[in-house]
Amino acid sequence: MTDMTSVLQDQVRVAADTGAGLNIVGAGTKTGLGRAAQGQTLSLLEHKGVISYSPTELVIQVRSGTTVTELNSILAEQKQRLVFDPPVFNDQATIGGSVAANQSGSSRPWVGGVRDSLLGVGLINGTGEHLHFGGQVMKNVAGFDVSRCQVGAMGTLGVITEVSLKVLPQYEADATLVFAASVADALQMMPQYMQRNLPVTSVCYWQGKLYVRLQGSTAGVDSIVSAGDGSVLAQDAAIALWHQLREYKLLDATTEQVLWRSNVAATDALVMCTDDCLLNWAGSQRWQLLPADQAGPEQAIQFMGGDRQGEVNGELNSVARQLQGRLKKAFDPHSVFNSGRLYSWM
Amino acid sequence: MPLAKEPQVSTVLSRQALVADLGRLVTPQQVLDDDENQRPFECDGLAVYKQMPWITVIPNTSEQVQDILAYCYKQRIPVVVRGAGTGLCAGATPHASGVLLVMTRFDQILSIDADLAQARVQPGVRNLALSQAAEPMGLYYAPDPSSQIACTIGGNVAENSGGVHCLKYGLTVNNLLAVTLVTMEGELVTFGGPGYETPGMDLVALMAGSEGLLGVIVEATVRLLPRAEKVQVLMAAFAAVTDAGDAVADLVGSGVIPAGLEMMDKLAIVAAEDFVKVGYPTDAEALLICELDGTEAEVAQQLEAVKTCFNHCGATSIRVAKDAQEAARLWLGRKSAFPAVGRISPDYYCMDGTIPRSQVGKVLTRIGELSTHYGLPVVNVFHAGDGNLHPLILFDDAKSGDLEKAEALGGDILTLCVDVGGTITGEHGVGLEKLSHMPYQFSDQELAQFRGIKLAFDSHELLNPGKAIPTLKYCQEYRSIQHD
Repeated sequence: MTDMTSVLQDQVRVAADTGAGLNIVGAGTKTGLGRAAQGQTLSLLEHKGVISYSPTELVIQVRSGTTVTELNSILAEQKQRLVFDPPVFNDQATIGGSVAANQSGSSRPWVGGVRDSLLGVGLINGTGEHLHFGGQVMKNVAGFDVSRCQVGAMGTLGVITEVSLKVLPQYEADATLVFAASVADALQMMPQYMQRNLPVTSVCYWQGKLYVRLQGSTAGVDSIVSAGDGSVLAQDAAIALWHQLREYKLLDATTEQVLWRSNVAATDALVMCTDDCLLNWAGSQRWQLLPADQAGPEQAIQFMGGDRQGEVNGELNSVARQLQGRLKKAFDPHSVFNSGRLYSWM
Repeated sequence: MPLAKEPQVSTVLSRQALVADLGRLVTPQQVLDDDENQRPFECDGLAVYKQMPWITVIPNTSEQVQDILAYCYKQRIPVVVRGAGTGLCAGATPHASGVLLVMTRFDQILSIDADLAQARVQPGVRNLALSQAAEPMGLYYAPDPSSQIACTIGGNVAENSGGVHCLKYGLTVNNLLAVTLVTMEGELVTFGGPGYETPGMDLVALMAGSEGLLGVIVEATVRLLPRAEKVQVLMAAFAAVTDAGDAVADLVGSGVIPAGLEMMDKLAIVAAEDFVKVGYPTDAEALLICELDGTEAEVAQQLEAVKTCFNHCGATSIRVAKDAQEAARLWLGRKSAFPAVGRISPDYYCMDGTIPRSQVGKVLTRIGELSTHYGLPVVNVFHAGDGNLHPLILFDDAKSGDLEKAEALGGDILTLCVDVGGTITGEHGVGLEKLSHMPYQFSDQELAQFRGIKLAFDSHELLNPGKAIPTLKYCQEYRSIQHD
């Protein structure tokens, strides 16, 4: 439960003065994501603990080195939960890393992703200033949304020191329906779960089956289950499935096997929808494991595995690249943070 | 009115030459420079800020917007973007020596994809028109600011607008998937996409609430939500505002997230009842209007929980709408609150602070004290579920000094919101109006970081200059005044 902010600020200032690059690391569980890291380690692991938590406000403010598992257990004591359900990576993943690497869970299309839970951040910028943006209230439009801009930035804009997250009450009930389906059937079946107001929180296709997760009030979940569509997956099998999906364990990337990911319109029948693909987010997030020597699918990013020296996040057009380059400079004028982690040129 | 110090902008071109040049980029009919035609654009929804535009251009296409911006960039001419002009923070107040870009002709819904539950729209599409167009597919667009009949999606994105259903369904940013904008240099760029997320930093979120400072939005992709099977509205009266405040905190804390949870104080109840006669209990000190939605089974379960909670917190009466008509009437009173207040006061000034829910009772009590101190009544109508206050300060602009008093009282309310851990604006934006309160919420270093972002997109500070982000010089002046 230590506040390391001033130590971290000093380290950033020294790096800015000496021109050294820093590699921001929590528990290192995201090392395999993004491009290969370089620079001296700036460890956030000791910078942890809850700063404030008021269950009736549905907000928790924590230091970034706090593990997701610890956070989940603190929330569970109050019968609450994180809304975006990030992977815990063997209980090691930190909340700062989960935000920086945009680790939105399976319920993204229905309940929102990391960005939708993030209400505020503390950030050390590239000159060592400790700044606060957003806050602990649900609605806040004063100034630019610097907090959400950190989501997915992989630490390239600064050191996230703390985050304020919207939390919600735990679901009362949880059930998983399963349907036999080809990938083509699944694409046909998935849209209905976006079009109807049901207590659905995940829809995925995997190995000839379509899985639909229902979470919500007991009355709401029971009414869908009792309608009799599909069969109900046994509880331990359901827990295992959603856990493996969240932890990226259904498709295991290695140096020889690359895990590709694409985010597309859920109805797209052309991109990554062969039988060996995993379709999550009702079809809008697609995953495929391919040998490292094989070219990746179009529109896909090289999510995990294989060589991490190339442009794993794809190419940006010149306008987007120029804007992001300038934005990086606005936060980190001396290029202290996570050089090359997101793109080779940043 | 505290007017922003605008960056010095020099233009060697005369208005006549500029009008001719712009007329060639679009058509001469799309360029206005006379007082009569430009008069409707001199202010937005916060009409105490007025400035006649220098030149107004009404483009039709993204290409025209690109050409106009590239030209203005080259000539270093400020550009202010305007949608329907319903904004409440003087964010669309024209620039005295700039071009006003009116985007109302971008009014096409480009597509509604029922399978994706998404729509692609031009920025000039009215908020309500989108929900109406999606209605046959059983879908709607969730963010519903009070001005939804008139306000447009482009403005909603620029201000990150909210509404009465934010508690459950989020603000504009939470319903926004992609934005296409034209940069000040005239380049077209898209952030986000239909697959919910794209790699790298979240620039869609950065665009939401950027108040026209970073680019001109020419297209947005938004998510649509399925209409709930069942919607239930109920109203509860309380003998004290603190009881109602506690009921809000208890309800949300207990795990029930209503689709909407609104609160009105006595003055608001009486004004609304006098105006629309919907059967509000005028002897109540506070009223909560609660909307629940979901499947039949979910709503039935929630309704019991809400009734139990409100009774526990001392509700003096609870009325559950029997049907959709009665639900609409209960809402009508709340939705008519602003015009109802307009009937009892020559002028009113609407504030927009957000506070932690637990501070509602304390803050309302303090607002009451401030109201007495300044001698101006304050009517409280607000989105209680997410702590977003809308105190309406009643004043008479015709009375000398009244406006200044209203502004001072408003300023005190905003600093109070920050002091209890909240913000100066929950959904209306900063614009010109709250510029002087930004240094109270943010340090000079934080404001400098905002300015860095601005410069990354607009290196010569030509887009909506002098709004939303105060310059450091301005802040120093503000702080020296506060310390005097």
